[in-house]
Amino acid sequence: MLELRIAGRDFGQPVLGEVYATITRGDRICLLGPSGIGKTTLLNAIAGLDTSIPDEAVLGRDKLRVGYLFQEHRLLPWRTLSANLMLVGVSEQEAETCLAQVGLPGYGQYLPDQLSLGMARRAALARCLAVKPDLLLLDEPFASLDPIMAGELKALIAGILDANPGMAMICVTHDGEDAEMLANRLWYLDGKPAQLQWNDELGDPGLVRELLGKLRSSELADS
Amino acid sequence: MVLPLFVVFWGAFAWFLDSPLLPTPLQVLHTLKVESANGELWYHLGATLSRVAVAFTLAMFIGTVIGIAMGRSRTTNALFDPMLVLLLNLPALVTIILMYVWFGLIEVAAVMAVVINKIPNVAVTVREGARSLDYRLEQMATVYDFTRWQRIREVWVPQLSPYLMAATRGGLSLIWKIVLVVELLGRSSGVGFQLHLAFQVFDVAAILAYSLAFILVVQLIELAILQPLERRSNRWRQPEAAHA
Repeated sequence: MLELRIAGRDFGQPVLGEVYATITRGDRICLLGPSGIGKTTLLNAIAGLDTSIPDEAVLGRDKLRVGYLFQEHRLLPWRTLSANLMLVGVSEQEAETCLAQVGLPGYGQYLPDQLSLGMARRAALARCLAVKPDLLLLDEPFASLDPIMAGELKALIAGILDANPGMAMICVTHDGEDAEMLANRLWYLDGKPAQLQWNDELGDPGLVRELLGKLRSSELADS
Repeated sequence: MVLPLFVVFWGAFAWFLDSPLLPTPLQVLHTLKVESANGELWYHLGATLSRVAVAFTLAMFIGTVIGIAMGRSRTTNALFDPMLVLLLNLPALVTIILMYVWFGLIEVAAVMAVVINKIPNVAVTVREGARSLDYRLEQMATVYDFTRWQRIREVWVPQLSPYLMAATRGGLSLIWKIVLVVELLGRSSGVGFQLHLAFQVFDVAAILAYSLAFILVVQLIELAILQPLERRSNRWRQPEAAHA
């Protein structure tokens, strides 16, 4: 349903190299890689936010509805949750349903700043769901949440994916455990400029472990 | 506290001098009453206010469009910035004289002179706001296919509102002062025109009466329109502590 033929992207210096990949319905991809390697850059390119990447580089996107869960909630702080959801084209009732789906029933009249970090992120996820996405992009959805909240959100997302088998997902994360719980495919982005070092079915546990080991050691090298 | 003291001091001093060049506060109030009773005050206040309203609306609209364009695009900014600097430093009096010389002593020239004086201030303020627009919300609006109108109304205007308020505040006080000069130089109605007449016969009581009336009107606008508007646009910033 989506074909990536990205020739590269630089911000002064090359960040992203050539990226070729295909995404089909039902793909649950975890995009792993050391921090600062260009994972968000790739996600933005896929979402069509990067104007310097031509539309042909992300073939098929114009036919897709995309839900993007940014690292920050990016809800309009001057609008209630309900109004925020209605801005993407749903009725008030549907907005309420989406909020209930993420565990925020009856929160329609709250302003984003009245919510805790975890709740605001769930509200942003509700907005993703409101567009009935074919492709769900998640940028570090569990970052800076405490383990309990992160676990809840993970279960929530897993439930949403199970309920929508046709939906594809790309989830940026540092954490191999997220991948094991959510993904059926794995992308590993590394190198300078960054390329997909690994891109396949998440079948071979040995390979996954090796990759995660590599990820951890490069994390260590980072810090 | 200072203001009543000032009035008392003024009254005592005027009484002591006993000169028509410095009327007492009571004499000013009396003039105000006479002028308002014979309708002169309302006619001229109305004329000035309608000029202020038209000039203000035009200047805010054009200045906002220019400011957003310059804040959003480096090229536009580079093209128009020298022009902006020129206009910012052009004395109001020069614009007024030129407009009257080129277009005659007509209403359009008067209002245009005010608008040209005010546009650069609005543009500079709004440009600052447009530069600080949050790119993260822009990305969000792109992903979720906001229409142009939704983007302006829901994403830009709330972020620009402090800048628009600043431009409005500064705009109103600047514009009404320029309008008076414009009227003094080339119109036959308005507070500025009345001040001109009073000046010719050294009628200080009338000068003070008209100034007082106008200050009161401007204060009324501030209290009745601007402050409620500002409170309304800032309401989301202080959500009541309804934390769940």
